[in-house]
Amino acid sequence: MSTDWKTEVDKCSKCGKCHTVCPVFLETGDESMVSRGRISLAEALRDKQIVYTDKLRDYVYSCKKCMRCRTVCPSGVDYEVIISALLSGVAENMGIPLLPRIIFRYILPRRILFDLMLKVSSKIQWLIPMKRRGQMRHLPLLFMGKRWIPTLAKKTALQKFRKTKKLKNPKMRVGLFTGCLINYIYVDIAEAVVDVLNRMNIEVVVPQGQLCCGTPSSTMGDFKSTKKLADVNKEVFESQKLDAIVTACATCTKAIKMDYLRTLGPSWQSMSDKIYDISEFIDKYCGDEYETKPIDEKVTYHDPCHLLWVRGISDEPRNVLKKSSDFVEMDQAGACCGGGGIFTIIHYDLTLKMLERKVASIERSGADTVATNCPGCVMQIADGFAGKNSKIKTTHSIQILQKALVDSGINKEK
Amino acid sequence: MKQETHNNKIQAKVFEELCDAIGRENVFDNIEERVCYSFDATKEKSIPDLVIRPHSTEQVSNTVSIANQHNIPICPRGAGTGLSGGSVPIKGGIALDLKNMNRIVELNARDLTVTVEPGVVTKDLQDEAAKHRLFYPPEPGSAGFSTIGGNVAECTGGMTGMKYGVTRDYVLALEIVLPDGSVINTGSKTLRSVAGYDLTRFFVGSEGTLGVLTKITLKLLPLPAKIGTVMSYFKDIDSVLNATDSIIVKNHLHPRSLEFVDKTCIGAVRGSAEETIPEEAGAFLLIDVDGNEKNVANDISRIEALCRENSALKTSIAKTDDERDALWDVRKSVSPSLFKIASMKFNDDFCVPRSKVREVLKKVYELGKTYSIQVAAFGHIGEGHIHLNVIYNDGKEMDLSVHKLVSQILKEVVLIGGTITSEHGVGDAKAEFIGLELAPHEIEIMKDLKKMFDPKGIMNPGKIFI
Amino acid sequence: MKHFKKTKTESKKHQKVLNELIMVLGGEKVLSAIEDRICYSYDGTKQKALPDIVVRPGCTSDVSNTLKIANKYEIPIYARGAGTGLTGGAVPLMGGIVLDLKSMNRIIEICPEDFVATVEPGVVTKHFQDEIAKFDLFYPPDPSSAAFSTIGGNVAECAGGITGLKYGVTRDYILALEIVLSDGSVINTGRKTLRSVTGYDLTRLFIGSEGTLGVFTRITVKLIPKPKKIETLAAYFSDRDDAIDAADLIIDNNILPRTLEFMDQMTISAVRGYGEAPIGEDVKALLLIDIDGTEESISHELPVVENACKEKKAFKTKVAETPRERESIWAVRRSISPALYNIAPHKINEDICVPRSKIKEILQKVDQINEHQTIYIANFGHIGDGNIHVNIMYNDDPGQAALAESIVNKIMREVVAVGGTISGEHGIGNKKSQFMELEISPKELAIMKRFKGFFDPKGIMNPGKMFI
Ligand SMILES: Cc1cc2nc3c(=O)[nH]c(=O)nc-3n(C[C@H](O)[C@H](O)[C@H](O)COP(=O)(O)OP(=O)(O)OC[C@H]3O[C@@H](n4cnc5c(N)ncnc54)[C@H](O)[C@@H]3O)c2cc1C
Ligand SMILES: Cc1cc2nc3c(=O)[nH]c(=O)nc-3n(C[C@H](O)[C@H](O)[C@H](O)COP(=O)(O)OP(=O)(O)OC[C@H]3O[C@@H](n4cnc5c(N)ncnc54)[C@H](O)[C@@H]3O)c2cc1C
Ligand code: SF4
Ligand code: SF4
Repeated sequence: MSTDWKTEVDKCSKCGKCHTVCPVFLETGDESMVSRGRISLAEALRDKQIVYTDKLRDYVYSCKKCMRCRTVCPSGVDYEVIISALLSGVAENMGIPLLPRIIFRYILPRRILFDLMLKVSSKIQWLIPMKRRGQMRHLPLLFMGKRWIPTLAKKTALQKFRKTKKLKNPKMRVGLFTGCLINYIYVDIAEAVVDVLNRMNIEVVVPQGQLCCGTPSSTMGDFKSTKKLADVNKEVFESQKLDAIVTACATCTKAIKMDYLRTLGPSWQSMSDKIYDISEFIDKYCGDEYETKPIDEKVTYHDPCHLLWVRGISDEPRNVLKKSSDFVEMDQAGACCGGGGIFTIIHYDLTLKMLERKVASIERSGADTVATNCPGCVMQIADGFAGKNSKIKTTHSIQILQKALVDSGINKEK
Repeated sequence: MKQETHNNKIQAKVFEELCDAIGRENVFDNIEERVCYSFDATKEKSIPDLVIRPHSTEQVSNTVSIANQHNIPICPRGAGTGLSGGSVPIKGGIALDLKNMNRIVELNARDLTVTVEPGVVTKDLQDEAAKHRLFYPPEPGSAGFSTIGGNVAECTGGMTGMKYGVTRDYVLALEIVLPDGSVINTGSKTLRSVAGYDLTRFFVGSEGTLGVLTKITLKLLPLPAKIGTVMSYFKDIDSVLNATDSIIVKNHLHPRSLEFVDKTCIGAVRGSAEETIPEEAGAFLLIDVDGNEKNVANDISRIEALCRENSALKTSIAKTDDERDALWDVRKSVSPSLFKIASMKFNDDFCVPRSKVREVLKKVYELGKTYSIQVAAFGHIGEGHIHLNVIYNDGKEMDLSVHKLVSQILKEVVLIGGTITSEHGVGDAKAEFIGLELAPHEIEIMKDLKKMFDPKGIMNPGKIFI
Repeated sequence: MKHFKKTKTESKKHQKVLNELIMVLGGEKVLSAIEDRICYSYDGTKQKALPDIVVRPGCTSDVSNTLKIANKYEIPIYARGAGTGLTGGAVPLMGGIVLDLKSMNRIIEICPEDFVATVEPGVVTKHFQDEIAKFDLFYPPDPSSAAFSTIGGNVAECAGGITGLKYGVTRDYILALEIVLSDGSVINTGRKTLRSVTGYDLTRLFIGSEGTLGVFTRITVKLIPKPKKIETLAAYFSDRDDAIDAADLIIDNNILPRTLEFMDQMTISAVRGYGEAPIGEDVKALLLIDIDGTEESISHELPVVENACKEKKAFKTKVAETPRERESIWAVRRSISPALYNIAPHKINEDICVPRSKIKEILQKVDQINEHQTIYIANFGHIGDGNIHVNIMYNDDPGQAALAESIVNKIMREVVAVGGTISGEHGIGNKKSQFMELEISPKELAIMKRFKGFFDPKGIMNPGKMFI
């Protein structure tokens, strides 16, 4: 895993520019919670001045891995290489807590077990008092959180789309990588993706063998587990004849399009090139063709870090939304919503602060609905509004398009 | 009499030593000469024992080191136009007249810098710069006769401060003769320098108490293409302040000058200038804007409109340079005209946050009434700066109540967050009041620093600190 | 190095200091774990030195108490803003305590009517500029690091920046300071009024003192109305001297642009690819020019500036049409400093300032000094002020570091010989203290040291900086 982090750290000029964008640093002002600080810690590790300690682990885990710092770094430091090395260092040297380890190593790679685990918990979730719009505490997937999370779906996305709906003369044939959140919770997003694409005369396959993308394990430095998952996913998707692979999850796109290049090596390149975020895909392949009747709602867009800061995708989702609604921009659309991974568990207070800011930006925009391209962000932002008795709805932008799409033009002949 | 006692202090031997070192022709001990260097524009007087008029840094250095050896007070002097007693040799000793060191050493148009000797008259420098289409902004009312050395020593402000800042902002480098006669160079003739501590600005505004400035390098700006001037008369101060607010706060126009004058001042200048002043005028604003042709025309008409909106009684826009001069004549004659009202004047020159001007003026006029003493206010209102003149006729009793009034006023000023002197300096006139503004330990620090440079206390003793 | 924890008694002292700090400030403001100390061990020079303790004060009295303890035990105190300094100012060379002032980052008040504002030192410059922009006000000092450096650090270094030609530097905007002195006492200098000349100008004495005289805990600044409009123009030259001539001609035309930035060929090659519009290989020098003012003044000045560039043989000029284009032009400029590491891994950053008429001469000298070209020198900077950042880039090969040092030495001598200064805006720190003597005579140096001795008799404030 340690490609060349040891030399990568030397590239950092210690200029401090990462201060300007790091969502965690902007909240705390702690030098230990920004790339520059962590890079210097990595240097110290390399130079054997320090060893792995609880404190160090905390500092490593306090990175959201949003990669926004990398986008401004004038010295071109590939911070991801460094943070990944630190994460796996933590994992190797300090181990991974038992429960996640079991989940990463034994359950995630086995769909049946995962399904079973969640099914059990979806049964017992009724034991937990229901609060606020059908949301529940403690989804087992985020086993340590203190968070409000939507109830589990009765039937997972994979189960729903076991069979591919055949089109007569499809323009393209694409595979959908669902990702865990969509598979188990936001099945409606998957439905929207399939529906929209079908109506655009694109056949959608949902390969059944696919597994978790591996982000949860990478986040905790367990790159071995990630590799296992990646191997399976590679096999599953390569065995299909697909023109493209789409996802509706920004984090999954980052994982399978970008991270797998490191996990799996250059052999993944040709597949990687075919992976798209759903809006990106639509904008690229159907942008001029589909017709809409914009819904009568003000919709704003939140940029998921993993889409904007990792991939620079910002216009495409907006193009889709502009065609589908009365689009309004919010200030700080690219600011992190605070959601995601181990960070929300360790730094729940910071997560909340980021969320508060996000919610305030959305409110200022005057939008009725906030759309985004990541189920993680949907979950986080909905959480922010849940307690507030707010009328503002949170949704995936594909669901807006689904409502606005008119069956004419390319999708008429269906 | 004072001069006799002082005279005894400088022994013949020292006198000879001085003459040897700097030439007999530059050392004056006749009473006529000494009287002529005994005062400044505060009208305060104290006759020095000797007047020395050096022509070079070396002569200054020699004078100072001899004075230092013999513990003789030295009072540097520019044009003696100061308004806080800075160049009055209140402890006798040597009046060091720097007016003979008045060369513009080099003006480097490309570098936007000029180096001058301290005795150069401010206006002369400005005129010289203008020949190169350059501009030295600080413009005290006394620019026509005060010296650059005096300006730097007082950190003079002036009419253009609103837009261009004060003298300090233009000083790049100094040659200084220290109290032991040694010569140092501070700063750099570059537009920027941060090497080491900022000795340059530390000496700016030090009022001749730390050393004698013998060469001064200043920064210049390109000369604005055009200046436009509006005079606007108002019924009362309230309207003036409203107009000011709408010009600079609401509309963010950034005039070159924004001068205000109150009713008493208007009474004093009425008739002394060409401009006819409306009968009911209780205050005026004189506004300069500069920039390019179009900008100026635009700003002037906007400002005029804003004045009218705020119930100006009359506005005049200068169309020619002569008209402009005529308008400024009115403003410039204020200070001297006040002597028409009474023979004595105490010149307060405070500055408050601009939003507090209304409040402080109200207090001041009330206090004037309480003490039955006339007060006249004018000043650079855009910066919250007020020249408050307490006008009175000489007399023991009067002196006492004037003193009381002044200290009352300054107390109010400080209370409101203002400063007791914004451009005239402390000198001896305000030395007793610095405790109002500065904490005892801060004054101690300043005194200690003074001692560090001038352990024997020969440089302009009796100033700033009492 | 004087790490006070080295010997046995010293280590006792260390524990005592730590305990006392924790007692007075509370545990959460006092960090002593190695991980934390590492994160406060460096600045923008890439130098490193480990502090023993990091204190994160929340208010003036925290700072005062820390200094009292440090003074009692004679422990070095290193004030630190964002650690973006380019001369090593915030690096705790002798260990001791790093005082991280980023934790004091409140804007205390903005008074739009008075054109003043008061801030704590840890406020990030750009953040402050954005806040006052809401009132249509403007705080001009604008170092390229404005988005991440602190106002406290700016004041301590007397930072300049790209707007200096027209608007001056940090010094010109500071009205009043609250300062904690080395014995923990607190003084207030200056006044919150636009003018004040009461007593000596301690404010300016402390500006640029690089944390060696005291710690700023409150800063009152002067504001001015925000210019209504800004236009940006990039001019491309095929000859360095042409660019310099063009800069001269613009100013000769009586125009002071808001910014007038110069980049030479080596600099351009380092940042090539950073902006949206790639810079062609034939570009040997670049001027980036901002003009601000009103609609009318800009419509007058912009053509004059553009023509001046053309007259001096700019082969292309480009006026930014959208805010985005403008931003992208300036993003390139702001990335220079770190992007230079693309040329070579090591950099000596000189920040010379010469009279403008001497720029050509000094650049020629720099060329001559480096005639063998085994080391790369990139020049860029605020050409209107004569402030050029001369960056000497070298790699790990044996002898290169020494060669670079000797080149720096020669350049510094030339700079002083033409009447220039060794530091236009970055300060002295420890990186340039060895050159102080070139510019500053022993007499003046002695005076500065007396100031230092006066305010900091025990030598605990930022030891190892400014003087050697
Ligand atoms: C009509 C009138 C209008 C005025 N308007 C203004 C105004 O608008 N703004 C303003 O700020 N002031 C104004 N003043 C006050 C005065 O003109 C200024 O303070 C001016 O700077 C004094 O300069 P000077 O050459 O007369 O110095 P002096 O009065 O001779 O000396 C002033 C102080 O500077 C010291 N000094 C002089 N030269 C040197 C030197 N070379 N080295 C060291 N110390 C030196 C003296 O010791 C003394 O302490 C005005 C005065 C008058 C009479
Ligand atoms: C990419 C980049 C571009 C830059 N561009 C410019 C530029 O254009 N112009 C320019 O002038 N500089 C520039 N710099 C240098 C640097 O950003 C400035 O010197 C800045 O002022 C430092 O601020 P800081 O908050 O990072 O201070 P630090 O680096 O943390 O500290 C700098 C010095 O100030 C002292 N200090 C900090 N806070 C206080 C306080 N509250 N009280 C007392 N002392 C204190 C420290 O002890 C130290 O000596 C640049 C740096 C980088 C990395
Ligand atoms: S922006 Fe890049 S070079 Fe600068 S401190 Fe951060 S990681 Fe290092
Ligand atoms: S990846 Fe995101 S959270 Fe982590 S250091 Fe970079 S900006 Fe901060």
